[in-house]
Amino acid sequence: MATARKSRGESLLLRYLVLGGWALVCLLPILWFLSIGFRPRTEVITPQPIYWPTFSLDAWHLLVSDWPIAQYLRNSVIAVVGSVIIDLILAIPAAYALSRYEFKGREDIGFYILSTRMMAPAIVAVPIFFLFKTMGLLDSVWALMLIYAAINLSLVTWIIRSYMLDIPKELEDAARTDGAGDLTILREIIVPACLPGIITAAVIAAIFAINEFLFTLLIASTSNAYTMSVALANFTGGSDGIIYNAIALVSFIAFVPILILVILIQKHLSRGLTMGAVKG
Amino acid sequence: MRTDAPPVPAGGVASATPNRSGTPPRRRSPALRKAFPYLLLAPAMIYLLVITLYPGLFAIYQSLFVVKFVNWTWTGFGNYALILKDREFWAALGNTALIGGISLAVQTVIALAIAYFAYRDPLIRGWRIVFLMPMLFMPSAVAFIWKLAFNDGRVISDLLIRLGLTGGNVDWLASVWLARMELIVADVWQWTPFLFIIFVAALQGQDQEIEEAARLDGASWPKIFWNISLPMMRPVIVVAVTLRGIDITTMFTNVFVMTQGTPGGATETMSYFIYRQGFRMFNFGYASAASVLMLVLTIIIAQTVVKRAFHSGKK
Amino acid sequence: MASIHLQNIVKRYGGFVGVQNMSLDIADEEFLVLLGPSGCGKTTTMRMIAGLEEPTEGQIVIGGEVVNEIDARDRDVAMVFQGYALYPNMSIYENIRFPLRMRGIPASEHDARIRKAADMVELGSFLDRKPGALSGGQRQRAALARAVVRQPQVFLMDEPLSNLDAKLRQSMRVQIKHMQRQLKVTTVYVTHDQIEAMTLADRIVIMNKGAIQQVGTPDEIYSDPANTFVAGFIGSPPMNLIEGSARDGRFTAPGISVPCPQFVQGKVTLGVRPEDCHVGGDNLQGQVYGVEPTGDVTYLTVLAGTKKIEVKAARDYRSDIDVPIGITFDPAHLYFFDEGGQRIRGTA
Repeated sequence: MATARKSRGESLLLRYLVLGGWALVCLLPILWFLSIGFRPRTEVITPQPIYWPTFSLDAWHLLVSDWPIAQYLRNSVIAVVGSVIIDLILAIPAAYALSRYEFKGREDIGFYILSTRMMAPAIVAVPIFFLFKTMGLLDSVWALMLIYAAINLSLVTWIIRSYMLDIPKELEDAARTDGAGDLTILREIIVPACLPGIITAAVIAAIFAINEFLFTLLIASTSNAYTMSVALANFTGGSDGIIYNAIALVSFIAFVPILILVILIQKHLSRGLTMGAVKG
Repeated sequence: MRTDAPPVPAGGVASATPNRSGTPPRRRSPALRKAFPYLLLAPAMIYLLVITLYPGLFAIYQSLFVVKFVNWTWTGFGNYALILKDREFWAALGNTALIGGISLAVQTVIALAIAYFAYRDPLIRGWRIVFLMPMLFMPSAVAFIWKLAFNDGRVISDLLIRLGLTGGNVDWLASVWLARMELIVADVWQWTPFLFIIFVAALQGQDQEIEEAARLDGASWPKIFWNISLPMMRPVIVVAVTLRGIDITTMFTNVFVMTQGTPGGATETMSYFIYRQGFRMFNFGYASAASVLMLVLTIIIAQTVVKRAFHSGKK
Repeated sequence: MASIHLQNIVKRYGGFVGVQNMSLDIADEEFLVLLGPSGCGKTTTMRMIAGLEEPTEGQIVIGGEVVNEIDARDRDVAMVFQGYALYPNMSIYENIRFPLRMRGIPASEHDARIRKAADMVELGSFLDRKPGALSGGQRQRAALARAVVRQPQVFLMDEPLSNLDAKLRQSMRVQIKHMQRQLKVTTVYVTHDQIEAMTLADRIVIMNKGAIQQVGTPDEIYSDPANTFVAGFIGSPPMNLIEGSARDGRFTAPGISVPCPQFVQGKVTLGVRPEDCHVGGDNLQGQVYGVEPTGDVTYLTVLAGTKKIEVKAARDYRSDIDVPIGITFDPAHLYFFDEGGQRIRGTA
């Protein structure tokens, strides 16, 4: 898609200056933080910052021995995967209704669903806290799963809706004349046809769920339910202060799967992030 | 609606004869047909209503009380009266707008610039992956990166010293604007990719012939960008900036990790204010009142800005 | 019995009338073509027969049974769509199988039926492929096979050939007609292409703006048009329509003087086909406007007053432009239409 144009107008020098500059801005902090993860604790916070540290797997040993890192990982996975599944089950029929049917209130319902994406977590933080407290769900992975599902539902619905709109109506007419009912059409025709959209929605929802911080902070108060995102904030070693090298290591552990997922859907990224408004 | 049915032509009597496969034809009740889309939407709607409506109502209810642990004392609009006089509340509101606004503006400019230079570059694939990376870290991780770089690890200060820009170590949390800078840098670093990806997609979708015609007409590239590419991107910019803008107003993680509102509340955003009132000072009623006000603000913004930005997406 | 009967069908979209008060009888095993320009209501009518749209008024009877209330999935009707509408995620085999599954036909019968249908359209070796791997013509045949496999009472075809190139269109036309004769299934075919209509139809229904203009065999439509719309729509190049006045057995218009029957009086329109115009004589006097040799025939355009008349001349006819020329109209093939466009018929 990108044709190489040398004489496009602006000078090559300027272009690569700008792009190269920002690339450095992006990469240097990452590389530096990576180095933090692989250096001994004594070299993390020093009077003069150290740029060429000695290699050490301190952080790794620490993580494995002192912290239930496997637990955090497990919690993250359960909550995230579970919430995405819930979202897909709820969103696919909803997206189908919004995209293929004409009915009274369609615009309003669609807008309401869209607007839940706009809601700041802080607005419902206190009530949700009380709600889960009375339900006895505080500090459980299931509570997190329900919350993540709620946060991402509108996103997933709107992304899938956007892809469903692309399916030609003729396909449904043909299925109907062939004798298929609505649910059969949804299951066998529509869903396979918008599979890229479903995957995109699932990936983006998963990423947002992994990243979620505020609710997780409030709901999960012991390591029973800590996920990776919040566990970071608690890597403190008492009088030693914040254990940065462990934090750095965990950050990269979380980074890799997210990177892979994003590469998977990169063609659909723009369309997914804007819920269909900007097609890539 | 139906005309009086004339007699069916000779040769067949109108009866429910089964079609060839043997199953009798179904006559679907029009009522079920009409209700079907609503049935499809019901599970999702119920779920959302429970998660949004119930907390919303609960917050409104709780905001009418002063809550100390299990003691709920009625205070009517007392909380609201207090909040509106609360300097910290207004500061939080102002900070959110200020920090968010500056951050958003900076991100947008940078994203436009790199998108414009990158979208037709032969190395676009490489640029895309590199530029995307900051956004792929967990926000809490990013917060720690910059917390270390600015505050605890003093790396930024060190670099500034080496560049000769400052004399001694910089305490970023001591000055109002330095602390705000931290947050802005962290947010811009992490979220510029969001806008970048969208802008690149939009630019790649533009019709090249228009730009080529302008070049043949003798226009220089800044003029082409300003007068042609940019205006064509306007609806996309509106959508992207609106989305990012809404997310920025909820800024919490960076504040929690990096500054906790210091110095003196200069970096406290609305979300952090609510958090502090509710979960540090346990003034739940008060926090609920603040939540309600923030909700009202969100609704207003949603009805005006968002509706217009997404109007085309809804068709 | 798979006759179709449309009784006073009306389709309204809000204030817009898509189909006006249409009544039509289609006989069993007949190949009926709905012909007309875009927006004339032909596709809407067919979709109402299929059950994909509901008539605002009127009744649809298929095989002696009123089907208004019956959902599309339960009418014994198979449809071929303009865009073929093949299910992209299924192989051609599965595509053809789909209607059999939906209709509850026992699985043991599936394979035989599918292969028979595929052989009929010569797609036997492509059954494993997905629609994306097929060419346009192959996809169209796959869509046909899917319609045929069910042995329905009625075939509906919505401009199935319009996405194909001209050569393919011709060979598919022949194949479709052959198949219909073989299978003896009532077929309703929608098109805007008059050549398709003329070659395929047992009867043609010409529609315009939601109303039937004429129903008849291709011969009748061609040589006995009911109004100026039909006259001008059928035939390529179209019939020349000349406005003028008739009095006492003579029709006159600028540059034109032609004998006409006594019952033709007043302001009328004369219709004469290009192949019924011959060089020479003085029914029309004008100048040569354009000469287009095409190899087997030469199209001659003559200017009479402000009107341009098309003449089919001999293949070796040549002339310069602006040369004065006279044209004779074949008196046996003259058509007259009144002020409203309706054909004037009568005994001389």
